[in-house]
Amino acid sequence: MSNNRVTRRQFLNYTLTGVGGFMAAGVLMPMLRFAIDPALQVKAEGDFVQTSTKIADITEEPIKVDFTFEQVDAWYKSDVTEAAWVYKDGDRIIALSPVCKHLGCTVNWNGDSAHPNQFFCACHAGRYEKTGKNIPGTPPLGPLDEYEVSEKDGFLMLGKKIANTLV
Amino acid sequence: MYYNVQDVTQFQSQKDFIDTVIIPLLSVNLKEDMIKQSSSATQYLMSLTAFIEQQFKGRIMLMPPFTYIEQFKESISPLDIQEEFRNAGFKHVLFITCDHSWTSLKEKIDVIWLPSIPLESMDQTVKKTILEDQLKQVIPILSSKWSQN
Ligand code: FES
Repeated sequence: MSNNRVTRRQFLNYTLTGVGGFMAAGVLMPMLRFAIDPALQVKAEGDFVQTSTKIADITEEPIKVDFTFEQVDAWYKSDVTEAAWVYKDGDRIIALSPVCKHLGCTVNWNGDSAHPNQFFCACHAGRYEKTGKNIPGTPPLGPLDEYEVSEKDGFLMLGKKIANTLV
Repeated sequence: MYYNVQDVTQFQSQKDFIDTVIIPLLSVNLKEDMIKQSSSATQYLMSLTAFIEQQFKGRIMLMPPFTYIEQFKESISPLDIQEEFRNAGFKHVLFITCDHSWTSLKEKIDVIWLPSIPLESMDQTVKKTILEDQLKQVIPILSSKWSQN
């Protein structure tokens, strides 16, 4: 009978290992999360987020497409809405991130009447060509990022943010 | 920019570009018949300011709200706050609030007053449209500030 009793030493071993493991997990998990840059994290099935824009409605004129996904930052869950400028280039669909590569404002297509057919950043007058190429002499130092695109049932799906492939 | 270490670090090295601060003034009212309305206004102000931040991240620093209860409102002094932020290098100090009483300081501080809208009863799409409309009211105020220099 006494063989089955948990000794004081065993009890301490079990509990302390348990607590230690729990503490290690508590320390490690946030570290893992830090390792993944939230800006490059898009959460949805298969990494693509469904939008409400029909492929057939996309023309050569860039339109703004909003999409929402859930982002978890430590304990704080939030719905993040991001946008993309989407247009057709021949048969190819291009989706550009609206986040200015200077300091991160949101750029607008045709936002400055003095410079038509360009993306314009109202914060410090940054400008980009339609391909997202930054215009020299304005503050941005790189081209707009791109989104991976895909299609499902005729609707546009947006995936990961990648470096611009057009310039 | 948000008031966090990463964004503040950027602010320190880019003060010429990040020249505007937005400071929400937030009233909290816990009275039985007011608490819902008060939390609704909070939700609205937080959503709207986050949206402004997203649009103008590279030029605006959004502060956490300066929060007060009605009886101790005097503990908040926008004039002193304005002074403090100017000294820290912000060229434009803008307050934003749903509390109408602050408009009495209109002559001395830049304050944007917006009546709160109950977003909680709206679905995502409507909410977005409303916030976009509200943003459109704020943009002219910002651009007139920015074109001053
Ligand atoms: S953030 Fe776009 S030009 Fe500065």
